Amino acid sequence: MSTTGISQEELLQRLNGLLAEEMEASIRYLHLSMTVEDNDREKLSKMLQENFDETVEHAQMVGEMITQMGGTPSPVIRLDLPPERISASEAIQTALIFEQAALDAYRELLERVEVNGDAALLEFARAQVELESQHVRELQVLLEN
Amino acid sequence: MSDWREFDQNPVSHSAAHHLVAISELTEEFGYARVSDVARTLNITRGSVSVTLKGLKGRGLVTEDDRRFVGLSEEGARIVRTVQAKRQVMKTLMVELLNVPEEVAERDTCKIEHLISDVTAELAGRVVLALRSGEPEVEPFLGVLRRVGGDHISEELEFPSKDLAQLIDGTKAAEKKISEGESK
Repeated sequence: MSTTGISQEELLQRLNGLLAEEMEASIRYLHLSMTVEDNDREKLSKMLQENFDETVEHAQMVGEMITQMGGTPSPVIRLDLPPERISASEAIQTALIFEQAALDAYRELLERVEVNGDAALLEFARAQVELESQHVRELQVLLEN
Repeated sequence: MSDWREFDQNPVSHSAAHHLVAISELTEEFGYARVSDVARTLNITRGSVSVTLKGLKGRGLVTEDDRRFVGLSEEGARIVRTVQAKRQVMKTLMVELLNVPEEVAERDTCKIEHLISDVTAELAGRVVLALRSGEPEVEPFLGVLRRVGGDHISEELEFPSKDLAQLIDGTKAAEKKISEGESK
């Protein structure tokens, strides 16, 4: 049954996709914080760990939303982590790539729930787009500097 | 014995080969491929696709235009053609020569299509051509293969079977004998 202009099945599928994006991003941040090597390693590693904490929080929020919507969190996670040390700029570029991917996925969700959207879901999608946009902007600034 | 290491040093990893083939198939079907389409096709996250594509773009195998549509470079397309040809040849060989059930052949081919050498694939292809040549010697040969083949084989079989184990032991013993003879 559709209550939000989007079927329940599609909604849960999208939310589980986002859960997988966030969980993978958290593991990637943790891995990047361990493999980055640079003069400012300590500072950058700290920033990456903070982003790790934040993506874990995002994953929890998506997981709660799935439960609220009557589903079961069931992310499909397949991660390949490169076994190499990387520079600060490579780490930020990689983070930018997966943050942008998550932002795109949230934007798509927002587009799908904007029509006849459930108010809580709409608010959640808007807030996540804003948060992810901010992440992307921060990483872009970091990369430029 | 160090050949197993080649598995990790293969120029195109299993995952990369799947990404390239997905881009090719999507472009063929819809005229374009986006990260989200590749992610859906491979049932993985956009983040994973994007990170993998970054590496493939860096190696000059994948392109991306201003609208963020992804495509294959000439070299990327060549790799896909090679992988698809190997897949087709090996699957045909498994099904038509070994009588491997279609779905098992599909899975097994997926595991080796990007790993086998061009030499093996070419020779396997020649066997397929010979099988389909209609030459009079081929039919009795195929008859023997059908007799021992996989029409009634179970996926829960115990491998190697007793007869096969004897053959393997015999081959090992023969190889050992030859190598001992050579060292004298």
